[in-house]
Amino acid sequence: MGTSRRYWARPWRRPSHVPVGGTTLEPLGSRLRRLLPIYGLLLPGLLLFGIWAAYPMARSFLMSFTDWRLMGESTFVGLDNYTRAVTDPAFHRALVATVGYTAVTVAGQLLLGLGAALLLNERIHGRSLLRLVYYLPVISSWVIVSLIFVWLYNGQTGVLNWLLNDVLGIIDKNVAWLAEPSTALWAIALLGIWKGVGWTMVVYLAGLQTVPEELHEAAAIDGAGTRARFRNVTLPFLRTTTTFLLVVLTIGGFSTFIPIFVMSTAATGQIGGPLNSTEVALTYTWKQAFGGGLDFAYASALSFLVAAVVALISILELRFARAQGQP
Amino acid sequence: MIAIDRKRLAALVAMPLALALALGGVAVGQSEAMEPDESVTGTVTFWNGYGADGDEITTFRNEVLPAFQALYPNVTVETQEIPYDDLRQKLVTGIAGGVLPDVLRADIIWVPEFADQGALMALDEEMGDFDDIAAQVFPGPLSTNKWGEHYYGLPLDTNTRIIFANDAVLEAAGVTELPGTVEEFEAMLATVQAALGPDVYGYAEGGTGGWNVLPWIWSFGGAITDPELTTASGYLNGEGTVAAVTKLKEWLDAGLMSPSILGGGTATSDQFGNGQTATVLEGPWMPSIFANQFPELGFSYMPVPAGPGGSQSVVGGEDIVVFSTTQNKDAALAFVRHMLSEESQLAMGKVGQMPVLASLVGHPDLPDYYPTFMGQLGNGNARTPVPDWPAIDEAIANAVLKSLRGDMEVQAALDEAAGIVDGLLSS
Repeated sequence: MGTSRRYWARPWRRPSHVPVGGTTLEPLGSRLRRLLPIYGLLLPGLLLFGIWAAYPMARSFLMSFTDWRLMGESTFVGLDNYTRAVTDPAFHRALVATVGYTAVTVAGQLLLGLGAALLLNERIHGRSLLRLVYYLPVISSWVIVSLIFVWLYNGQTGVLNWLLNDVLGIIDKNVAWLAEPSTALWAIALLGIWKGVGWTMVVYLAGLQTVPEELHEAAAIDGAGTRARFRNVTLPFLRTTTTFLLVVLTIGGFSTFIPIFVMSTAATGQIGGPLNSTEVALTYTWKQAFGGGLDFAYASALSFLVAAVVALISILELRFARAQGQP
Repeated sequence: MIAIDRKRLAALVAMPLALALALGGVAVGQSEAMEPDESVTGTVTFWNGYGADGDEITTFRNEVLPAFQALYPNVTVETQEIPYDDLRQKLVTGIAGGVLPDVLRADIIWVPEFADQGALMALDEEMGDFDDIAAQVFPGPLSTNKWGEHYYGLPLDTNTRIIFANDAVLEAAGVTELPGTVEEFEAMLATVQAALGPDVYGYAEGGTGGWNVLPWIWSFGGAITDPELTTASGYLNGEGTVAAVTKLKEWLDAGLMSPSILGGGTATSDQFGNGQTATVLEGPWMPSIFANQFPELGFSYMPVPAGPGGSQSVVGGEDIVVFSTTQNKDAALAFVRHMLSEESQLAMGKVGQMPVLASLVGHPDLPDYYPTFMGQLGNGNARTPVPDWPAIDEAIANAVLKSLRGDMEVQAALDEAAGIVDGLLSS
């Protein structure tokens, strides 16, 4: 069977009669026959994306320029919802908290994930088991681990207080970690790091497989120590991986919702409590839509502003990476 | 068992209501004596959050619904039990998409919100006998249906918080009589601390939100807003509210009250069950939970200690509302009336849905722990019934928390909160 009769199985292949550069028009029937399977295969995915993602997003975007009401007519209000957001001090506080949470969790996951990957890339006993153990938090339910951490952080009977106060004596009285405005967000960030390290580790482990062993050997022959080899051989090969992780984890940090929602409510009775110290962009947005008042238009505007901030940060991260010599 | 004449206490509190009922004339429970009405036709869809696997839905389906069908043979009722957590989301989607039930069992704090969206029918305009029915239900639960000038629903089931007292703890502390006033309550706290402190407290609260602190604020003569719900200044930062929060801070600072009010600690129910606190404020769903979790636990009930504002508590529960989109108004209103009948209220009351009819106070068929709750409901108040209640609640919680933590003076914290709430009310 010739290639031209089999190209339907590999539709990305250009049929031999289509000249390079496409200067000669391909006969319509042939073109259709070539493209139909491609679009046929793409259609289900495109339909699902269109119905469940693109259309709601477009509607939500339009909604953000109205005073949208659940019933009755909505009025076009221009940029009112956006100007309101820009001048909303509560939203500013939530954004600052989100940036803080993201910075801490991204840094924590990158550093600990890389450390775990380096250790578990070595030929040590029980390596597979340890990799599994590190990865387990990633596949556990956010709600369940959040509730477990609420218990660990309990100010009266929590395990953390028992460890720090009764066993190690680092603190002299119990701390209600989730009810103390100065500690609550960071206590939740610790859960975020713990839960994400396994995934970061796996991605770094994959990245480490691309580092040629010969380079390590050559560097070692040239007298490079472990630290020098890590800095000059391993790290350069992990730059692309790190950039990828940085962007994805930043998006994840800005999208945090479940642990804040569950833990602040369980510990203080207030979403984003205590004293709004754990209020992040998405909990604040959720409150506008579902927490009372049903202000979906404002919530939509907030969502797009947060998305814009995330996009901007991601672009800056990519530019920074390029400036460092990455592709 | 601590000596207390609960029934007498409940009867005293409920007496004005019972009197009003007697003078009110028409009995809501008239459906028992009614002839079947074949003129009302249609299908009524009813969304509710009754526990799908418990006695509530069984009783509703096997007793309440057949009784309605017997009265209105040409009306079909389609019911959907939707878990509480999903119900709100489904309603929001339903309102936006124009797919709504005729009748809804709604959390009391949703009513102003949905009424404000124009989704609910004003029952006081549409039901000729609205005033008769309204006169027979507890005023606190009824008030949760008012938004603007109209009532958009009727109370269906209710609850409130009263003091649960751990018999063993009080006995160990040498307390023989339950306190009736704030002064007596404070003396009890001190007695418990002197005898069992510092790890056993006289009282434990689980947070600083409205549900937690409003009983104290109202009992001290405080308020959140003026009766017309136009301003919080002078109320939320008024003398009574400041006195209540100051007293809570005194109790906390003196170690008389568990630090769990600041959050992040052990659940108050666990503290109570484990004998770490003598008293808690709890709702009528707790006796069965305590019976399961702490089978050996003995406890008594008492109303919220009376202060300058009397013995006041906060009302929870559900209202029954009709959506303005209904195509079956007569059938829907007939169903609402039936759900408010003495017969239905009693049936659901037996399985944990506390009735809203004052006439059922002390009814022998109802659980024995109801009288104090129903007595307290005579002085039960609704949380500020406005769409922005969650934001108001947050302002209250933050102000009380700042006061208790010592971050701000009580007056300054409540002044700040009053400013926030004024802004919310004016918007």
